[in-house]
Amino acid sequence: MDLLEIRDLNVNFKLGNQEFTAVNGVDLDIKEHETLVLAGQSGSGKTITCLSVTRILPASARIGSGSIKFKGEDLLKLNEDGLRRIRGKEIAYIFQEPVAYLNPVFSVGSQIAEAIMLHQNKPEKEALREAEKLMGLVRIKEPHQRLAAYPHNLSGGMNQRVMIAMALACRPKLLIADEPTTSLDVTTEAEILKLLSELKKTLGFSLLFITHSLSVAHRIADRIAVMYQGKIVEQGSRDEIFGAPEHFHTKELIAAYEKIGKI
Amino acid sequence: MNKLLLTGIIIIGILTLAAVFAPFISPYDPNQINEGSMLMPPSRAHLFGTDSLGRDLFSRMAYGARISLTIGLLAVGISTVVGIFFGSVAGYFGSWADSLIMRFVDIMLCFPTFFLILSVVAILEPSIYNIMIIIGLTNWMGVARLIRAEILSLKEREFIQAEVALGASHPRIIFYHLIPNAVGPVIVSAVLGIAGAILLESGLSFLGLGVQPPTASWGNILIEAKSTLGVAWWITIFPGMAIFVTILGFNFLGEGLKKKIG
Amino acid sequence: MIAYILKRLLGIIPMLIGITLISFLVIHLAPGKPTTIQQALNPKVSLEVRDRLEKLYGLDKPLPVQYFNWLNRFIRFDFGRSFADDRPVTEKILERIPLTLVINIISLFLIFLLAIPIGVKSAVRPGGLFDKSSTAFVFIFFALPGFWLALILMNWLGVQLRLLPVSGIKSLDFEYLGFWGKLMDQAWHLVLPIFVSCVGGLAGLSRYMRQNMMEALEQPYIYTARAKGLSENKVVYKHALRNALLPVVTILGLSIPGLLGGSVIFESLFALPGIGRLFYEAVMMRDYPLIMAELVIGAALTLLGSLMADIGYACVDPRIRYKKQ
Repeated sequence: MDLLEIRDLNVNFKLGNQEFTAVNGVDLDIKEHETLVLAGQSGSGKTITCLSVTRILPASARIGSGSIKFKGEDLLKLNEDGLRRIRGKEIAYIFQEPVAYLNPVFSVGSQIAEAIMLHQNKPEKEALREAEKLMGLVRIKEPHQRLAAYPHNLSGGMNQRVMIAMALACRPKLLIADEPTTSLDVTTEAEILKLLSELKKTLGFSLLFITHSLSVAHRIADRIAVMYQGKIVEQGSRDEIFGAPEHFHTKELIAAYEKIGKI
Repeated sequence: MNKLLLTGIIIIGILTLAAVFAPFISPYDPNQINEGSMLMPPSRAHLFGTDSLGRDLFSRMAYGARISLTIGLLAVGISTVVGIFFGSVAGYFGSWADSLIMRFVDIMLCFPTFFLILSVVAILEPSIYNIMIIIGLTNWMGVARLIRAEILSLKEREFIQAEVALGASHPRIIFYHLIPNAVGPVIVSAVLGIAGAILLESGLSFLGLGVQPPTASWGNILIEAKSTLGVAWWITIFPGMAIFVTILGFNFLGEGLKKKIG
Repeated sequence: MIAYILKRLLGIIPMLIGITLISFLVIHLAPGKPTTIQQALNPKVSLEVRDRLEKLYGLDKPLPVQYFNWLNRFIRFDFGRSFADDRPVTEKILERIPLTLVINIISLFLIFLLAIPIGVKSAVRPGGLFDKSSTAFVFIFFALPGFWLALILMNWLGVQLRLLPVSGIKSLDFEYLGFWGKLMDQAWHLVLPIFVSCVGGLAGLSRYMRQNMMEALEQPYIYTARAKGLSENKVVYKHALRNALLPVVTILGLSIPGLLGGSVIFESLFALPGIGRLFYEAVMMRDYPLIMAELVIGAALTLLGSLMADIGYACVDPRIRYKKQ
């Protein structure tokens, strides 16, 4: 049994009178301790797929058929209370543009501590100490000073580290990362990717990493799934995909990656 | 055509017809004093009752519609023209003209509207024309800011830069190209502004500083409402209802237009 | 932060000068001198007295000189003497301010107390029953002329049901009441005026709050809050509300001109001795020193209000308060 098994997932959007299918019968598996990269262009449905896992979708989205089994349990059959036990604790997220995804009116320390207080029932002072430790874990310098900082005081890279600290606070089994490095510069991107793979080794979580960049996929993936217009069009190990791509879209993405020069 | 817009058009349409055809729909002369029938409640003879001088309320209100509508339209006309002028000069020429005009706008916005209007009325004596002009000259600031913002964003667009390159003169660019494109939000603002102007005029008339009796305005009919409280409910209800429905109508119209355009 | 406040304070000075300039120009718009109209109202005043008044008020001097003299005295809070009863204008204003302040502060308090929950509840379920009905209310109360509502309530609650007093601030037997009696009597007289002056502001603020809340709920950090596993209550009332409330702080300061304008009508209608009614009386009597003083003070208070709004917002929004490190 894999950690996450998505079968025949369908997600529609209702905009006014029109319905629009974002995810069209997606099958996806993630094993324990593995890094699966979900690759594809914007609009292919990658984000909606990953948001569906814990059902934190926008209000206009409707999940049609399908099942999402996490450790054998179908998440789509759980109600909100059931899902909240999973969110943040077993499955956590980090997003693109961390400064927008962090609340601007609370300090970064308190936002990390909030996750700890919620799932581990610790009092605030202790949670803040934990938060400081976590900030050290994600290699934020001088974490004690940074606890009271606000997201707009920190750089993009540091904010992303804060998000990672917040996500990993309760040692989740699955970390879903939606294009976390797309808005960062190349150097910072490399640092964050390195941080993620080291943390993965230490803490032992599975990583579902979404990106449109195959160079990132090449760097970190165990397996790759290519998504195109709401469907998974090709899946395989990293070497299989890069060595012998079959679907035309996979070939397009690889061609783009090779043009940039295999960074 | 959304529901809001439709409702607004119907209400304002009826109002306009009543105002235009006031002489035809009024059964009596609005100023005719009739000592035999003072403070009569609504009846078949007097649809809305009579006031303390025996004048038919319905006729007074029909003529009052004329007054309120005229004042509203002309006042807004004035404030729109003044606002477009200042706003386009500020937006188009920029630099010190912009700073100066915007400072002026800021200062004017500091005066509570009623305070300013009342002060001027104190100086210039209330009359229908004065009120129109005063309301117009104290409410142009919003339009000015709107136009300025639109022009600032339009200035950068290509078709304007093409005109500049072709050597078009300033007024031509402003009048033929910039202003017509900025007109959308201004129309919405004007419609909503008419509601505001009518509200201001009725407030002023109610205070005795607007339309002067014996000319009827919904606001000054309500002056009597104060002294006939509990005795003649129709003097309170009908004119106030008219003001309320009119403002509601213009608000619907304005919000409906906003939905259609934006 | 301090630098920001100082900069804003400095910027106020030219605005204040502009206010005094426009006020002065407005008053002197009339053809003829203020004393001419004064005399028209009061024919008993002989020509010599009029000339004396003119010299006294410096009305025979050229306009710019008059302006500077007036401004000079104004800065020292010498607003001249009322044409009506020759009392110092400052005194007349000061004795009326407390009542207007009390009414407006209580109104503001009530507006915020009610409008914020209404706005939030509408935003949380847009298009739902609560939202639709509160939207209808807002439209109605926006269009309702305040003085008409006042008249209707005065008629119904005051005259017909005799529940509330409709005029003045004291009952006839005021002098015989004890301390608490006097307090309650005055409070009772204020119920209707405060209610009526709240209504418009309530409609506006609840709409504004709804808008802010809806925008806050669409922000990316709401996804993060949900992803953490927070209850929907925490997501809405902790994460979204805090952000939605930020601009509302400015409304406090920006409400001042509206409240001042409203006080003119409401105080006159309810015969309350506040500065709104004072202004109305001054206008009726063409009491120019008083009119000018109130005009400038009204504008200055508005300016102050907007300054406080800006500073308040800068204090409350961490993005402005704590600049980049």
